[in-house]
Parts: sequence; C-alpha cells; structure tokens
Amino acid sequence: MAVGVHNLLTADKVMTAAAAVERFVRPGSVVGMGGQNINRCPMALVHEVARQGVGELTVVGCNLSLPLDILVAAGLVVRTEQGSGNLERYGTLFSWRRAVEAGRIDVRDHSHLTMASRFAAGAIGVPFLPTRSLLGSDVLAALVAEGIAHVLDDPWGSGPVVLVRALRPDVALIHAHRADPFGNVVIEGVTSHEVDMVRASSATIVTVEEVVPEGALNARPEEVTISGAYVSAVVAQPFGAFPTSVYRGYDFAEDEIKAYQALARRGDDTYASWLAENVLEPADFDAYLRRTDPAGTRRAELTEAMRSYV
Amino acid sequence: MIAFPREILAVEGARQIPDGDVVIVGTGLPLLAATLAQRTHAPNAKLVIESGVVFPKVVPTPVSVVDPRLMHGASRHGSLFEALGGLVQRGLVQTGFLGGAQIDRYANINSTWVAGKRLPGSGGANDIASHCRKVVILTDHERRRFPERCDHVTSPGFLSGPGEREKAGLPPLDVKVITDLCVMEAADSALTVTALMPSATLDAVRAETGFEVDSVPSPASVQPPSPEELRLLREVLDPNCVYFPERNR
Repeated sequence: MAVGVHNLLTADKVMTAAAAVERFVRPGSVVGMGGQNINRCPMALVHEVARQGVGELTVVGCNLSLPLDILVAAGLVVRTEQGSGNLERYGTLFSWRRAVEAGRIDVRDHSHLTMASRFAAGAIGVPFLPTRSLLGSDVLAALVAEGIAHVLDDPWGSGPVVLVRALRPDVALIHAHRADPFGNVVIEGVTSHEVDMVRASSATIVTVEEVVPEGALNARPEEVTISGAYVSAVVAQPFGAFPTSVYRGYDFAEDEIKAYQALARRGDDTYASWLAENVLEPADFDAYLRRTDPAGTRRAELTEAMRSYV
Repeated sequence: MIAFPREILAVEGARQIPDGDVVIVGTGLPLLAATLAQRTHAPNAKLVIESGVVFPKVVPTPVSVVDPRLMHGASRHGSLFEALGGLVQRGLVQTGFLGGAQIDRYANINSTWVAGKRLPGSGGANDIASHCRKVVILTDHERRRFPERCDHVTSPGFLSGPGEREKAGLPPLDVKVITDLCVMEAADSALTVTALMPSATLDAVRAETGFEVDSVPSPASVQPPSPEELRLLREVLDPNCVYFPERNR
C-alpha cells in the first residue's frame, strides 16, 4: 500500500483501537513507540496490542518506558532499539531488564539524539543523517558492528562524523491531545521524538483525548503538530495515556506507577494476575479505567492537579 | 544548621554554574543544583531539558524530564531533536550535568551495563558528554562506582587517555566530579582531587576509589552551604524530601 497516497485519499480515519491495531499492527512489526517516561504514553493502544497478542515485535523509540514493559511482560517483544529504557525516578523497566539479562530480547543501544536523528532521516526520505554523538564510545562500536552506524571523515574537512541509518517503523503508536477525522493531530507541550517518528513510519495510529469535527483545525493550520498525511487511524480515547500524563490535561498517577513498578519488580504470579485483570481481560481501555477508577474520582484529581502547573 | 553530605554536594553543584550559562540537566540533584543556582548567584542561568523544554521556570519538585512542573513558563516546548541537536550538538549549551553507574579514571561514564546487569542506557548522556564543553557529574562516592576503566563506555570523557578525545573527533572538555567526599577535575587528563568535602580526608577518598587517586598538593576545602542555600534547598526546592529522603530519617 502506498501509504502517503492512501492517507491523503482517506477522509475519515476514525475507528476503534481494536480495529486500528488489527489493521496496522502485524506479527513481526517494527513499532515506533510514542511518549517519554511518565508523559503521554500510548497506554490504550499498548493494552490493545497486548489483548490481541500481536507478537515478535521490535519496539523502537527514544526513551522506552511503561508501554514497552507491558508488551515485554505479555511476551510480545523480541528486539528493542532505544536511547534508554527506564522510568527515571520510578526505576528501571523490570520486565525488560529481566528479558534482556536472560537474552530473550535483542537490544540495540543508542543515544537519544542518535535515535532522533534516525527518525529524522526516515522522516525526510534520506538513507542516513550525520551526527557527532557517539564518537569514541562503546555504543558506537556496537552500532558499527551491526551495520546501523558508519564513521567517515566529513568531505569538507571538519573531521570524523557518524552516519546513522534511517529508521522507518512499520507502525507508530502515539497519544495526543486532539485530532480531526482526517488525522490532523495537535500535541501540546513537548513532542519528544514523536513528530519525526510518525513522519518516518509507514502507518500511524493516534489515540486522542478528543476528536474534533472536520474543519475545526483548518482556521489555524500552523497549530497542527502532525499533518493527517502521516496518520492512518484516529481513535477517541479520553485518558488514553493513563497512568502517564497529558500536558494541560491531567497529571501522571504516581501511585499507579509505583504500584506497577512494585509488581513488575517481583515479576511473580501477582504481577501476572495484575496483567491479566488490568490489561488482557478488560474488554477495552474504558473497561480498564472503570475497573481501576470506578467513580472517576482519581481522574478528576489528576485533571485538577494539572491545572496548578499550567 | 548542619548539612547532609548530599546537600553539600548539590550546593557545590550549583556553584559550578556561572550567571548567564546555558545548562542542560536531567531531574534529581542536577535539577535541584541548577534551580538553586538560579535562585542565588546565577539568576540569568538558563535551563534546557532534553525532552524539548527550553528555558523553563521550574515549579518544585519535578521527578521527570517530562514532568509538567518542568514545562512551566518555558521559552518553547520543542522536541528531543531540537534540545539535543539544535541546542546541545549545535554548541549553544555550555554545561551539562550527568550521573552514571560508573565513572572511570579518565572520566568516561557507564550507564548501560555493569557486570552483566542491564542499566537504562545513554538517554541524552552521550550527547551531552560529546558536545558540551563542561560536564559536571554529581554522584555518591563508592568504590564500585569508580573503577580504573568502565565496563562499557556509554558517554565519553577522555577515553583511554590524553589526546584520545581529540583523535576520536570530539571537542575539548572540562570535567568536574562532585561527590559526598570530594571534588575531582580533569581536562584531557586523569581525574585529580582538587577539593575535599568539609569532613572528608584524602585517605577516605582513596578507600572509596577503584583507581589510583591523583591530588593537587593541598586540596581546598569545599565551603559548607550557607544558611540561605540550605533554606532554599529544604523549604523551596525540595520541601517534601523527594531527593533527600535522609532528611526524614
């Protein structure tokens, strides 16, 4: 499928997460993961991928956090290419770390700028971009051995540069503030690596807090963060990043993240039960949200908490 | 007021930031140090956060580089490519703050693998160590953290010795390592102790360092935090002891 043409010709991309994942995430896909640390992670989409059990995935991104750990725990990941894998102050990614240390997952380390440069190359249709990061490091040695990076002298004489190969995921998963039915996406706050990653990907599924009517973004196209030209599916999913945050929308749920980390660290039957009850068994993400926050009071608190910073 | 060793470390970190400097920091002690500098001697210091936040006015106490408390009042909310490429690699950020599981004699940093244990990886650290002209490393001083040579070089200091950084194609760098025992400095050289924390001795530093410790003839003594520095740290920047749990014990 010629993705650009397909996307430009499709007027209405709104569908359910289940339909979007079924259509665009395949066994063996290279999945570009949106979000960073505790912000705007595409949790609803990751739950859906786990529910559908789409396996043999290669997950790529800059900082990979909670979404990766859940996919690893579900046994769906064979390889990661990343700048970092952790939840900062909330610790490492325990499922990922266990799988990596046991040799069940193949890992390709980069710096954040190197990953961002690989997506940027993919985004503008060139085979590589140069950087001066990684020079002299063991990170570089491993990427050169893998054929992902190459060192040469700047033809204009400024010395060694590292060429990093374009990375073009099969499908990008992101969560954003809003989109119109055409797939024009608005993100508020930082965009981490997401814009170039989406532009580099063959397909993109975006969950949004709100689907706005056709035409609603047309008066101010400069405020559109990602054109619908790059977006394959739009899924309405309020709180689709929970328990991570959405800038101006809701704060991250620290207690949920800490509770997840405590379970993931143990990695035992209680963790498996948590995954089954919260990710695999609920009919959809709304059912998970109702299960974890039946009256919506937690979500109201997180919305209120965000108001104090913005 | 008696300061805890890690409080002295954070305050000494703050003192490394001249007024008007542009500094890239992650969360934790580096961010506390940078915001303390802004509220004391360096009101015109500017922060860059790797997630794309340019020049924020930080609301205490962020726990992540994407924490909304860290996005407040910024000049711009951009991208990783913009922060690490357009500012750091572009050469517009003078100073970077880093941590790491291991720091070796030539100031190389490992945050990827230690003895078969998987760690988070580089993040923006390699980019910062490759492009900033000054790197400040804040860390606890433990022998296992200071090996002769890192198991894996995630972020470059002076690689295997003098001249190697330039040979690799990297720009010159000044490194300052601040621990709860001492301050060590290096510029195309091995780390050398230049100052000791108020109650520390060179013998204590040697006991907790895995490589041969060089020292200047008479290391200076780090100035203890002033009452105002401690007040800001305790009451304004981290009132809930997020980064100083020892204050609650």
